[in-house]
Amino acid sequence: MSAVAEAVAEGKLPGRVWMYADYHCNLACTYCLTESAPKAPRRVIGRERMLEIAGEAAELGFTDLGVTGGEPFLLRWLPEALAEMSERLPVLVLTNGTLFTRRRLAELAPLVQRDVAMQISLDRPDPDDNDEMRGPENFRKVVDAVPKLVDKGIKVRIATTVESIEDAELDRLCALHRELGVPDEDHIVRPIVRRGRALDHDLGVVAHQVDVPAELTVTVDGAFWSPFGPTVHDGVVDTDLLITRTTRPLSTAANAMLRLTGELPEGDDVALNIR
Amino acid sequence: MATVRLLDAEQAPLLARPFYAKGDPGPIVASLAQVPELLETAMPFISTALGPSAISWRDKELVIVRTSAVLECSYCVATHTAVALDAGLSHQEVRALRGEEDIASAFRDPRELALLAWVGELAGGRGSVPAAVRDGLHAHWEDHEVVELTVVVGATMLLNRLATGLELPVSAGTERRLAAEGLR
Repeated sequence: MSAVAEAVAEGKLPGRVWMYADYHCNLACTYCLTESAPKAPRRVIGRERMLEIAGEAAELGFTDLGVTGGEPFLLRWLPEALAEMSERLPVLVLTNGTLFTRRRLAELAPLVQRDVAMQISLDRPDPDDNDEMRGPENFRKVVDAVPKLVDKGIKVRIATTVESIEDAELDRLCALHRELGVPDEDHIVRPIVRRGRALDHDLGVVAHQVDVPAELTVTVDGAFWSPFGPTVHDGVVDTDLLITRTTRPLSTAANAMLRLTGELPEGDDVALNIR
Repeated sequence: MATVRLLDAEQAPLLARPFYAKGDPGPIVASLAQVPELLETAMPFISTALGPSAISWRDKELVIVRTSAVLECSYCVATHTAVALDAGLSHQEVRALRGEEDIASAFRDPRELALLAWVGELAGGRGSVPAAVRDGLHAHWEDHEVVELTVVVGATMLLNRLATGLELPVSAGTERRLAAEGLR
């Protein structure tokens, strides 16, 4: 058993390897960690590299893959790449869920019957409240897309990212996601993390290394401690959670990660529910 | 102003954090921190090569200041001028190492003169060191010392090119010290 597989089996290291597919996005949410926007520098990691990482991650003993951005589905080749990656390990892809027009939905055909789940952001049960931070029409597009994705046989999770939410509002949100076909176990609520654009808007919780999950995250800029690591502020990628610039072979970063997890005291990642 | 972003403690990558534990680590660490895996490998090597060892502090500073002057690295010359004074070198010796005075008039010890002649050839020349210079060194220095001194020259040249290439800034403290010593 490899050192990574052993650490994952013992619960010392989360099994998921994340990759940032890109950094640009059709939205510009006020709490975005990466200052993503339509004109943000794209920093696309590339299809071949994503497949390579998937293969290396499987060989090293990781158990899952995560893909985030930016908005990954701006990359038209993504569905086929995700399908291919899922032959190695199960994939979770984060998306804002606003790009799934009829044509785009048809392009998701390669994902049907694959071990690929989509995590879609939906923060509030009311359009105006939801769209205040995420942009106009966001709510409508998500509510339209989710049942269609579910109908296609694609597993959908809903992620709610908020400063705080009243119980009654959360109840209405949960009723909504159930109605859209997403069960309670596939709904997560998490805080805004005070990095990226959230810093400028004075939003979210301050999270240090010990407060975020130690999930190896690969971007065009290097390997990071967590998907909350390669954030962008004032156009500059943060380096405080950078592990190594070397990502090929992935074992260089994975071994450094293992070393760092061995030195880590207990943190607040569970208490803050940053997942 | 350096040509790359020098990472402060707040932006120090995880593997680089130990190097910031005692405060500002200086621009060499702050630049190498951009590539943490390189930093954590390079710094122990550099510290071993240039730090306390079987070669005396004075002899190491002779090599470092002379090499830096030959390579015209203003950052390393300034920084190690201050260190050389701390190691007990005189103002005249430092000026000679920096190429501002004649080496033969500042240094009398044949051992040191042999070393400086060899440093000049190794750091400033191309190809092999002339036989007379090489033999002069070996007449005064043991094999293990020659090996270590060679590594000191090499490590210094690495830093010379790093500091020059990235235009690393000399610290205000060093600037003040050199001004006070009349060695700016």
